[in-house]
Amino acid sequence: MESFVNYWLTSPFLTHYMNYFPWAWPLAEISHFVGLILLIGGVGMFDLRLLGMAKGLPVAAVRRLLPWGVFGFVLCVTSGLCFVLGLNANVPNRVYDVLMTDIWLDLKLLFIFLAGINLLAFYLTGMSRAVDGLGPGDDAPPLAKVIAGTSLFLWLAVIYVGRLIPWGL
Amino acid sequence: MWQLLESLENSGYAIWLREAPTVLAYATVLAAHALGMAILVGLSSVIALRVLGFAPGLPLAPLERYFPLIWVGFWVNALSGLVLLSLTPVAFLTNPTFYIKMLGIAGAIVSVQLFRTSVFGHPASLDTKPVPMKGKILAGTMLTSWGVAIVAGRLTAYSFFTEWRTVLAVLSLTVVLTAGYKAARRLGLSIKSTRQGRATPSTGY
Repeated sequence: MESFVNYWLTSPFLTHYMNYFPWAWPLAEISHFVGLILLIGGVGMFDLRLLGMAKGLPVAAVRRLLPWGVFGFVLCVTSGLCFVLGLNANVPNRVYDVLMTDIWLDLKLLFIFLAGINLLAFYLTGMSRAVDGLGPGDDAPPLAKVIAGTSLFLWLAVIYVGRLIPWGL
Repeated sequence: MWQLLESLENSGYAIWLREAPTVLAYATVLAAHALGMAILVGLSSVIALRVLGFAPGLPLAPLERYFPLIWVGFWVNALSGLVLLSLTPVAFLTNPTFYIKMLGIAGAIVSVQLFRTSVFGHPASLDTKPVPMKGKILAGTMLTSWGVAIVAGRLTAYSFFTEWRTVLAVLSLTVVLTAGYKAARRLGLSIKSTRQGRATPSTGY
């Protein structure tokens, strides 16, 4: 298991280039920031509308922002994979040991997983369809509010524990 | 002046906050700075992008309700930023990049405020008339300033050598992504026109 994880989650190629180009690591960090900004900007604004902020917005229109959030998430996953696969460009640790010992990284992955389950619940409970018909001033159903609040909490928690990862190494 | 800053840096408060063996001290202040940024830059950038023509179906007027939260994000970052500055003031205040970051933030905050009054000043006609050019220019200034602040902010942690290479890399990536986006839009448009072309039979029987 240990060698399996170290083999598949370490890229000597990427590590080499992250080492070789001094701009590679900070560029990945900046992309990670831009990604989280788009994620909170898009998804956060949608969640806040369901929770009752800016109720003048029809929900179907705010939904158009979700692809921005998805794009931000993709940016974060891409740059995040650069941090993990090129870990040795920054610290000498092995990926398996980091996954086993860094509680903040584990919590972050757990929260992202839970955010995925939460998104699945949004579709499976029919809330996704139910909120689409909400016009200006309409209140979202309580279950949709719970899901929106959970989403907002989880993504902010992902940012919080994500920033703590270096302290868990 | 510098002596005062040095004594602040060596005060028990600064040493404890920097070196306390708990993530609830220094790391949490850093995390608060990231959370504030997400709220402040995330929400204000989405509104700016909407004014620049993205997501045109989204009504503008109700978006004004997000501004109080944007200011919450700003104050979280102003306070956490002051704390972070107080921990190693000499290093920050002798770093030119730090001043570029501050200029970026000043530019962005002034744009947010002017943008709010110029775009949201007349809410009744907001969604019936096109956005004034001034609003679009301010939206562009805001996004550019946020970009400068974020890049410079991250780079304060790096050497001068790495800094300007990263700036070049960021600019190149921006150009490539923008060109890719434009190309994709063109391609999307041409696919649509082909479909329309197929839908209308060109030859009659």
